[in-house]
Parts: sequence; C-alpha cells; structure tokens
Amino acid sequence: MKPLFAYMKKEYLETVRTGRLIFLVLLFVLFGIMNPAIAKLTPWIMEMFSDSLAASGLSVTNVQIDAMTSWTQFFKNIPIALVAFVLIFSDSFTKEYKSGTLLLVLTKGLSRYKVVLAKAVLLLSLWTLGYGLCFSITYSYNAYFWDNGIANNLFLAAVMWWLFGIWVICLLVLFSALLQNNTGVTLCTGGIVALAYLLSVIPKVKIYSPALLMDANSLLSGAMGTDDYMKTIIVTGVSIVMFLAVSIPVMNKKQL
Amino acid sequence: MEILAIRNLKKSFGSKEVLCGLDLSVSEHSIFGFIGKNGAGKTTTMKAVLGLLKADSGQICVMGEKVNFGQTRTNRYIGYLPDVPEFYSYMTPLEYLHFCGEISGMDKADLVMRSNELLELVGLGREQHRIKGFSRGMKQRLGIAQALLNRPKLLICDEPTSALDPVGRKEILDILLAAKEQTTILFSTHILSDVERICTEAAFLNDGKITMQGTIAELRSMRPSDGFIIELERKEDADTLIKAFGNLKVEKQNTLTFHGSREHFFVVMQYVAENRIPVRKIERIEPTLESLFLEVTQ
Repeated sequence: MKPLFAYMKKEYLETVRTGRLIFLVLLFVLFGIMNPAIAKLTPWIMEMFSDSLAASGLSVTNVQIDAMTSWTQFFKNIPIALVAFVLIFSDSFTKEYKSGTLLLVLTKGLSRYKVVLAKAVLLLSLWTLGYGLCFSITYSYNAYFWDNGIANNLFLAAVMWWLFGIWVICLLVLFSALLQNNTGVTLCTGGIVALAYLLSVIPKVKIYSPALLMDANSLLSGAMGTDDYMKTIIVTGVSIVMFLAVSIPVMNKKQL
Repeated sequence: MEILAIRNLKKSFGSKEVLCGLDLSVSEHSIFGFIGKNGAGKTTTMKAVLGLLKADSGQICVMGEKVNFGQTRTNRYIGYLPDVPEFYSYMTPLEYLHFCGEISGMDKADLVMRSNELLELVGLGREQHRIKGFSRGMKQRLGIAQALLNRPKLLICDEPTSALDPVGRKEILDILLAAKEQTTILFSTHILSDVERICTEAAFLNDGKITMQGTIAELRSMRPSDGFIIELERKEDADTLIKAFGNLKVEKQNTLTFHGSREHFFVVMQYVAENRIPVRKIERIEPTLESLFLEVTQ
C-alpha cells in the first residue's frame, strides 16, 4: 500500500504545484456563482433588449424568475465544466508516457495497476470536489434568493449528472491506458460520449444510454420520474466498473 | 556470479528485426560497456531487461530470476538511468528521491540517510530549487542518484554521457567509477574513449547480435597488431624504403607505417639491417577499440 499512497501523494502534489487545482476551483466556483447570477440578471437583460425585441414584434412582459431558472442554468453550464475538466486532464497519463517519467517509477518496482488506480482516484476525487463546490454554491444562492423546493428530485438530478461525469472520466482513464497521445484520448472519449448521445435518440435504447443522465431538467420539471432513470443508472454503474477493470490489463500489456 | 544473462533474445518492430538472437552475460562487480551504433538495439535490449518491452522470444535472467514483461519483479534488483532522464519538474531533488524511496518501499530512516548521501555524491547536496530549471548534466546526475537509491545489484545506464559536454562527461564517469564498489554497471554507449576509461568488460552489438564480448584486454587481443611504425633518422632512407616496399606509407617526414603480415615485416627489417639504415624507433600499433568497432560494424 505504501507505494500506492506515495504515487497518489505525488499526483495531488502535481495538481497543486502545476496550478491545476486552483484553476479547477476557480472554474467551478465561477460556474457556481454564474448560475444564480444569470437567473437574477435575466429580467434586466430582457429589459435592456426589450426595445429591439419590440421592433421585431416581440413584447416583453413580466419575466418569471425562480430557483428553476438557476438550476436549468446549472445543468446547462456543468457540461462545459466537464469538457474543461477532460481537456485539462487528458494528458494525465500520456504526458508520463511521452516524457518517460513513468519509466523511472515503474523500474522502481511500482505495479502498473497502482498507476491506473492512483490516477483514477485523483480524477474522480477532483471531479467530486469541483462538482460538489459548484452545486453547493448554486444551492446556497438559490436558497437565499428563491426556494429550492420548486425543483423535483433535485439531489437525484445532481447525483445523476455527477455519475455521468464519473462515467466520462472512467472512459478517459481507459483511453489513457490504451493510447499514446492526449489528442487521441480526448477524441475517443468525446466520440463515445457523442455515440451515447446519438443512441439516446432511439426511444428503445434511450433508457439504457448514459447520455440520459444529462437530461436532468426532465426530472426537475417532473416530466420524467425517478424510475425512468433506473436502467441507465445501472448501465452506467456497470460500465464504470468495466472501464476501470479493463484499463488495468491494458496498462499491464502496454509497451513503454 | 552472473548478474545478467540474456539468451537468444529476439525483437522486431513491424518488419524491422532489431534484435536477432542476442546473447549476453554480465558478471558481478564489472563495469560492462555495451557498445553499438545508433539504432543498433541497445535501448531495446535494456528496455527488455527492465520488462518495459515484450521480447518476441528468448530469455532474460537477472540474479538468476526470469524477467517477465509487464509485472517485473526483477526490477527490485535494478537501478535504471535512461538516456534522457525526465523527472517530475515540480519537485526538488530531495523530494524526488524521497518519492522514489517510498515507491520502492524503503525504510524511512534509511531513505533520509541514503538520499542525502547520494545527493552529496552527485554534487546536488545543496540544491534547493525545483528540477524544472536543471541543466542536462544536473538531470543526468540526479538520474544516477535515483538509480542507486535502493542499492541495486545492477545499474543500467543508457548512454549516460552521449549528450554531455566534456566536463559533464567526466563527472558522470567519475560517479560511475565510484559506484562500482557498490554495484555492477551495464552501460551502453558509442563513445569508445569512455569504455576504455572505465569499463572492465565490453560487448559489441551489431545487426542485432553480439559480435564480440570479453574484457577490454581480451577484446584487444582478439585482433592481431595493426602493424608497425618505423621512425628513421634520415628522410632519404624513408624514401628508399618506400621505393623498395609498396606497403609502407609516409606518416610524417621520416616516419613510416607498415600494414601487413609479420613475415613481410621481417623482410622489411632484413632490408633495413642489410642496408645499415639507421632507425630511431620501431613501435607496434596496438589495435584500438575504435578500429575494432569499425571492423565489427562494417
């Protein structure tokens, strides 16, 4: 266990000293504040544009703003944060292959699966931390300005999106073990997410696709119930375990 | 005792056969020079020994234990210095060594003592800065320190001096010589003067095979003398000899070199004696590693 903890410690030190941690924190805090801020500013923005809208035949009446507006904004913004997260960490493995830093660590006797494990733990914990931060900030502002009770199953919706993030990150880990450069890792991860999204267009497949987890607004508005998401939660959970389990033999067979 | 034994090692990359039946044996407490041209397969061999590359066939044993690709337990006996060592640039040398020690499961007290001792040995004892700004020579020295950290039985260095200036090269060679007391060193290179300076044994790698292996003296004796240098007192005598024998060449004004069989050389000497030509010096040309290397790789 000592080598695993030593490598994990190194991963966290790297995140702090390369400035990635502070960047992530700023990013998630910014998004967290932006969601209620945009909701709060919407009436003012509409008013500003009311003249030009009126010219094109649209009249702005009283704009209704509540916690739902902010939560809709949250679930619109979080994909951007996830994309940024994937881009920032797409070279977590490949940078070590290219520079040769991993060679020295492996020749010191560190088992390869521990590399996969340590990096996966780092990524998943950072995502959880960032997402939690963003959610908490939005939640607090929403509670202050409006009433969070208006959103149905808010916590389940939040957990679903978090789970979707975990799914994407585990894909990132799998492709990082498989491929040599970060462009490939980003493209393949993005490709699979796009595929899951495309498949979710087919009604029969939709309920199994992890992409359904992104549709939190249907749950919040009550258009879909919690049961409608059960199948995709199971599929996502199983595939997360599978991605990590496959990454280890892939890493073990990798020629460095 | 045999620290490293490689039998019939084969490795191809696509259709290119890099190693075709390599055999190598490194005995304990030697400094073993692994000599070959660029692209001869030195790094491939070393990576196979470290279990970083999967060999197509053949067997590698370190300390009598078989090397397995991927999960390489034999690496606990080995310290490795790659040709261009790269470290986590955000760490200081001491932090890096502590990290390496924790990875290899060293005892805390021993690790602290050993890291300080090694950083002193490689001249980085007072270096507080992060590795980010290090020169190539400094990185190479830190590379040796990390390779020696867990007292390896075998230290593998991949062209440790190739990219360094003469001062840096000398420093690295001195450190390797000092490390000889503690470990066996296998180091690949194409700089033959380095081999002649510190190696006790050497092997030539060419076309994916070992073409010659032995102690430096044995290697030199594998090839007969390259010829003789004859220095005469007068330039006219040199001209006379050149006219008489075709296989003499002018080296300097009155110095000639002779390349040919020993019998033929006696004929020249007989001529010198019969014509009473005064000679200042006759010297045998010893074969150099360079001439051997050129011969082997041709």
